[in-house]
Amino acid sequence: MTAAFRTTDLEAYLDEALPVEEMTRIEKTLRDDPSLARQLAAVIARRDSGMISLGEVWRRHRLSCPTRQELGSFLLGVLPDDAAKYVAFHLEVVGCRCCQANLADLMNQQAETQSSVESRRRKYFQSSAGHLPRSE
Amino acid sequence: MDASTSSLETLLISRIRAGESEAWNELIARYEGRLLGFVSRRVANRATAEDLVQETFVGFLNSLPNYDPEQSLEGYLFSIAAHKLTDLLRHEGRRPTMPLVTEDSSDGWQPVDRGRRASSIVRSRERHGLEESALVGAMAEMIAHWRRRGQWERLQCIELLWVRGWSNKEVAARLGISEQTVANYKFETIARLRSAIHGQGLPEEVFPELYQ
Repeated sequence: MTAAFRTTDLEAYLDEALPVEEMTRIEKTLRDDPSLARQLAAVIARRDSGMISLGEVWRRHRLSCPTRQELGSFLLGVLPDDAAKYVAFHLEVVGCRCCQANLADLMNQQAETQSSVESRRRKYFQSSAGHLPRSE
Repeated sequence: MDASTSSLETLLISRIRAGESEAWNELIARYEGRLLGFVSRRVANRATAEDLVQETFVGFLNSLPNYDPEQSLEGYLFSIAAHKLTDLLRHEGRRPTMPLVTEDSSDGWQPVDRGRRASSIVRSRERHGLEESALVGAMAEMIAHWRRRGQWERLQCIELLWVRGWSNKEVAARLGISEQTVANYKFETIARLRSAIHGQGLPEEVFPELYQ
């Protein structure tokens, strides 16, 4: 018996945009349940045919995501109550992965040492700078 | 994304396109932390997570000729990171590989015959960008309107219905409102979007949820 998955959740799964616990639950079910694989394949086919789901568009364009500045204010506790409640809802109930990542980054900025951040950034730069376009 | 972020990003991208390594350093400093935050939720090993961020940056530079500055830079980077993450999870066997099409659609949707389907795809690809951007514009304007007026309950209601796919009953229970209120919010929102879409002369079949 398949645990019920909403089409909306399967679309988010394909975009790696579903909350982590639910991503894991779908992956686990997919391994044991061929009917979920067929359901997912139908979602892929519908996408390929050009149909647009409202939720997909909303999520992909991050239409209701708070700005990074708002997330910073949320972290500092200086957002107005109603706006702060909405940000908490967006992070915890909707489970927006991009906003969760931004919030984690803002929290880490206070905790990480400058030298570890610099060393990581240097590594990224050195491994990617060779792919920069050549200056004219 | 506000206007100042957008113009800052546009300038940064044009400097990177000109091969300025300092600009590339700036982009890394600006985005690496949030990308690491994104992949770390799915990959417990810190070194592997950092490798994925590294691959995301290389992927970004390789795809730079195709990047449209109208698109959010952060969103674009997150989408590359999501692809890299998906590849890794498939490689590790955590994420099963999916067939591309199905003959047995369990949710009632069936592709039409192959000839029609192929032409539909071509047509939809040609128009897809225009249609999606019309919908995005209408939805963004509506959400901004709710925010300005402090209509947070309405925003939460529609977000749960469309982004999470919850039923009216589930949304009502979560927000502590009646199912009738949920139905009213949904009806008014759909009417508003239909009007915006209709005003732009776009076909109904592209947005089936608005005409159910």
